[in-house]
Amino acid sequence: MRIRILAQTLLAALVGVTATAQNVKVDPKVSTYKKVSGINGNLNSIGSDTLNNLMAYWVEGFNKKYPNVKIQVEGKGSTTAPPALIEGTSQLGPMSREMKSEEADKFEKKFGYKPTKVAVAIDTLAVFVNKNNPIKSLSMQQVDAIFSKGRKGGHAKDIKTWGELGLTGEAANKPISLYGRNSASGTYGYFKEHALFKGDYKDSVKEQPGSSSVVQSVGSDRYAIGYSGIGYATSGVRAVPMSDEAKNGGAVFEATYANALSGKYPLSRYLYIYINKDPKKAIDPLTREFLKFVLSKEGQEIVVKDGFLPLTAKMEADEIAKLN
Amino acid sequence: MSRLADRIRQGGIFVWFSGALLAFCLAMIVSLVGFIVAKGMGYFWPSPLVQVQTADGPLLGEVTAHEPARGEETEKIQFRVGNRDIYGQDFRWVPAAGLGPQERPKDAVLVERLEYGPFIGRIASLSHEGQEVATGPAALEEALKRLPEASRLRRHIQSIEKGQVGDLNRRIEQLRLSRKRLEAKADAAGLAALDAKAADLQAAYDQLQGSLEQIRTEAKAWTLNLQTADGQAKECPLGAVVRMVPANAMGPLDKLGVYLSRLWEFAADDPRESNTEGGIFPAIFGTVMMVLVMSVLVVPLGVVTALYLREYAKQGWLVRAVRVAVNNLAGVPSIVFGVFGLGFFVYGLGGSIDRLFFADSLPTPTFGTGGILWASLTLALLTVPVVVVATEEALGAVPRSQREASLAMGATKWQTLWNVVLPSATPGILTGLILAIARGAGEVAPLMLTGVVKLAPAMPLDGTFPFFHLDRKFMHLGFHIYDVGFQSPNSEAAKPMVFMASFLLLLVVVVLNLFALNLRRKLRERLGGSTF
Repeated sequence: MRIRILAQTLLAALVGVTATAQNVKVDPKVSTYKKVSGINGNLNSIGSDTLNNLMAYWVEGFNKKYPNVKIQVEGKGSTTAPPALIEGTSQLGPMSREMKSEEADKFEKKFGYKPTKVAVAIDTLAVFVNKNNPIKSLSMQQVDAIFSKGRKGGHAKDIKTWGELGLTGEAANKPISLYGRNSASGTYGYFKEHALFKGDYKDSVKEQPGSSSVVQSVGSDRYAIGYSGIGYATSGVRAVPMSDEAKNGGAVFEATYANALSGKYPLSRYLYIYINKDPKKAIDPLTREFLKFVLSKEGQEIVVKDGFLPLTAKMEADEIAKLN
Repeated sequence: MSRLADRIRQGGIFVWFSGALLAFCLAMIVSLVGFIVAKGMGYFWPSPLVQVQTADGPLLGEVTAHEPARGEETEKIQFRVGNRDIYGQDFRWVPAAGLGPQERPKDAVLVERLEYGPFIGRIASLSHEGQEVATGPAALEEALKRLPEASRLRRHIQSIEKGQVGDLNRRIEQLRLSRKRLEAKADAAGLAALDAKAADLQAAYDQLQGSLEQIRTEAKAWTLNLQTADGQAKECPLGAVVRMVPANAMGPLDKLGVYLSRLWEFAADDPRESNTEGGIFPAIFGTVMMVLVMSVLVVPLGVVTALYLREYAKQGWLVRAVRVAVNNLAGVPSIVFGVFGLGFFVYGLGGSIDRLFFADSLPTPTFGTGGILWASLTLALLTVPVVVVATEEALGAVPRSQREASLAMGATKWQTLWNVVLPSATPGILTGLILAIARGAGEVAPLMLTGVVKLAPAMPLDGTFPFFHLDRKFMHLGFHIYDVGFQSPNSEAAKPMVFMASFLLLLVVVVLNLFALNLRRKLRERLGGSTF
């Protein structure tokens, strides 16, 4: 299985097709969803916009099982999830990063217990360039030097033009045009922490209102570079294979499922749904069933459909255990 | 020279100048609408399916874009290849060199599916319960014949699920809530009765599920065996097919049929696949409904305010200050109203209503979260200055002679206002309403904070008691445009939908305005061509 995935990936890379979710299959050991009766009511989901489409897909799938359940999905950024959970305006708080300790503390202050974190999918954050850009790979340190002011990653000097990344010809003198997310986004936070080594973004990064608009901007600007979840890739952009000079001897890895699971691809993360679960009480049945559906085989196939990566059977079992 | 001076004096030049400016405005509006229509309308027309030979095998799809050679880069063509479940992406750029001749095979077909977007390829065969019924071109013909029946079955399942199953589910949920209440009171007898009821409902539910399962198996009986251009096979139940379009074998009339049915689907159906496919009916409905609720709220608020300000209040510095404040309110950015709506209406008012009347369902909020009522109230606040100003003007334009005549007949001030002044001011008030609608329908920012969502599963108006659900969240065309344009997972495929949704939003605003204009015209006729 693994070998086949690798072979296919290599083949795809050779013929110049962007490696996307097409090769990913959900772990066959992940349990299938069993319908129960008496599920009705309303759920509100407020949070990450990376997870926005995935939530919409899940709700569609869940509604096929329970046509009369009503789930509203709002996604304006991970930062909007904790306040909504605390205020009680939502029961599901999708986040593309972990809750910061201040956010979790505020929650605990109000309810007396911590919010429950359920990992629902794996995302690989990709650095995208225009499809016509010939660049072969980037190291984390280079990415840091491209995007950050301080270069905490340790690259010797600031990178401003494509020539400094080894491109020749017309592109060599062209400045790199930077696209990123707005600061309410969990993607912004994650990229800052991991790719920028907690440094600060350059002021010239054009902050976009959604992951999709980052990709669209990169697709229409041939000297652009930008980051967002791999699920948003279009035919106009290419995900650059990444390396980390400090790990694996600087070897280059594509953003594939195998590399994300093994941790070799440096920018992979979990996506979460936070819920308000009182440890002394049973969880609300609607919330429980929705999360069970999300973690089931059907739910994880939807993850693949949206271009993200599914959980393995072991991860799934761990997450389901949190619900009981 | 003197001629020019003459012309300036007579104003001829200014007539030309103002005419030119009018023409400029018209040109801008026409090009705006033209641009939107041109970008959006072509999307539903079936384009030919083109097959070419690439380095890694044959490729079949619609040609969607073209990029000329530039410097070292070669010429490229973008194909919409579909088959998201097999290829991962709907679109693909390929170098134009060495593609061979562009063929248009007659048997190529685009199958629109409920999931994973369109399939582009060929129909290998059609089978019924695993038995092959027809192969090759005959399979397509047979499948086209069977499709209406399969779609009918699918709608039948949906209606059972929404109707009967939903009804049962609702009753079970009500039981759960009353159970919660009784448990708090520790009422053993009541609980036992509830359990008996729950068992009955459960039995009914199981029975319904059984019969549904039967229909579902029936719906799954017919299967299409599909094959992509590069030879990969895919199965698809006929019940999951929306439409089959063999574009290369179709005449213009057939294509027109497909075009119209796609257009209808777009305007009248629910969205699918995270809003990138299907229709946008809930968004249209949400927009119209929100504007109507807003109108109902804003008119009394604005008119009563203006009435007091104009007729009863002692004109002095305080009234002047209030007027200035009202006018300033019209200039406050809409997002500020949104913040106010979230803090005051949603958290404040809504939270209190929940604690008082819907304590059972807490922590799930009923009114303590964004909803159409709060969004409409926020927009009503946003547009109230327009109505106040227009009403004040209209009241001021009612001739003094009419009021005095009424007062001379012995009517009180209130009777005069109610019977004489207000009726003749109605057209002016409606002008205010028209302006309010125009502003309200186009606002998105405050709604994002007070109740608009990407996907609202239920409409604010439906057949379930109490029919009118003001607590529900809703979809809005303006927000839909933002969402599909900037947040969609499949942004390339969704782009034409952005333009179509924009077009529909324009259409909705125009229709609402025409409605109000017509109302005003009728009122004017009845009043016999009065003022304003």
